[in-house]
Amino acid sequence: MNDLIRQAIAAEAEERVDSRTVLANLHKAKKRKPFGLIVGVATLTVAAAVAAVVIPTTLKKTDASPAAQTPAAQNVLLIGTDEYHRTDALVFARFEGDGSATVISLPRDIYVGSGPDRINSLYMEDPRKLTDAVEQMTGAKVDHYAAINMSAFGQIAAAVGGVEVCLSAPAKDPRSGTDLPAGRQLISGDQALAFLRQRFDLTGGDLDRAKRHQAFLAGLAAKITKDNALMIARQVSGTIQVDQGWDVAEFAARFQGPVKIRTTTLPVGEPVQRDGTFGFAVDPAQAKQFVETQFNGEGPVRDGCVY
Amino acid sequence: MGFDQFVADRLDRLLGYATAITCDKHLAQDIVQNVLIRAQGKWERIGAMDAPYLYVKRMVTNDYLSWRRRRAAREIAVERAELAKHAPSMADPADAHAEREAMRARIAILPRKQRAALVLRFYEDCSDAEIAQVLGCAESTVRSQLSRALQTLRTHELARSATLGVHS
Repeated sequence: MNDLIRQAIAAEAEERVDSRTVLANLHKAKKRKPFGLIVGVATLTVAAAVAAVVIPTTLKKTDASPAAQTPAAQNVLLIGTDEYHRTDALVFARFEGDGSATVISLPRDIYVGSGPDRINSLYMEDPRKLTDAVEQMTGAKVDHYAAINMSAFGQIAAAVGGVEVCLSAPAKDPRSGTDLPAGRQLISGDQALAFLRQRFDLTGGDLDRAKRHQAFLAGLAAKITKDNALMIARQVSGTIQVDQGWDVAEFAARFQGPVKIRTTTLPVGEPVQRDGTFGFAVDPAQAKQFVETQFNGEGPVRDGCVY
Repeated sequence: MGFDQFVADRLDRLLGYATAITCDKHLAQDIVQNVLIRAQGKWERIGAMDAPYLYVKRMVTNDYLSWRRRRAAREIAVERAELAKHAPSMADPADAHAEREAMRARIAILPRKQRAALVLRFYEDCSDAEIAQVLGCAESTVRSQLSRALQTLRTHELARSATLGVHS
């Protein structure tokens, strides 16, 4: 009788719907963004900082009197640091009054001045030096900055159940611990950190890494819901530092609904050698032009797989 | 294992399992879809488990067993039972197809938990311990569910054979 039962159950199971239909539905469900809100790294980082760190203190001071008019556009420099406060990632973002943002990755191996000093060494010396250098290079004013320890992103990714990224090729790098197959996948925890940190064996080095940061942040933005936003804020609180005198409550008031984010990387050309190391020499005139165009208009929207 | 990889590897099997326990491919599809969407949300935890498939199967099973529209499920089963009653008289009892369809109909009217245990044993080849994990009960309960299911099926089988004048 057992064989008969086996056959009967197998026949019942044989009735199942085509798995491709279900797969298509799953993808559709994935694309349906949680209440349509899309936020990029900048929004996330800063909004989280706001929620977790700054709002409670500022509200006490100002007795919460929300400004009626649209907040002014602001340029914010976001600094991703490692556990030793060294700069791992630099992102210059312009937030419009409606919360939409243009996000430009600044490769960290950009030389400042004519010597071998790179932009990534400045923040540790003095945040002011870094913001000055960015202003000089881009011609745009840095209204505020926020620094976040990037190790928090591993936990954040884990907290949202993994962040989807897409790799054009398998990534394996013993130095960062990266070991990921090609294709779309969810990464979190240590793998997410390794993914964000890997720089060796990437054809474009730090430039590819900047693309990875953008891809990761877009993936992370897609996972943010009003249910987990607070938890994310808690995760990053204590790892974020913002400049003194930033009215973050006013800044945060602009994030009310769906937010458009455009991401791009500052073009830097071929690496040049100074004092035996390679870096990028940015032509300030070109950089100014690029940043101005991006901050004023339509930058490309990044989508697709990264190396 | 990544979520997408898991889905690529297991989706078809999961649909087969869900269809076998629900006896309703559309309900099975709904359940599997909903479960996978939920599972994706906490994949960090599930993916790190020793047996993610077992856990997802448990989610599917729970969804079905706690499914509120019991009456609808009942109707499906009854309809199947009606068909089963007529099947023997219409078909040659020696016909393997008819035998199988009759068994299928009898399985469809088993209590849900018994059917789930049966499918886990005979379709998924699970051990008592694994079935207990999926159903969230003790192994002794698994054994009693299975033996009750087999008892029912055997009784029906005997009755049917007697009616038809054949020995099973």
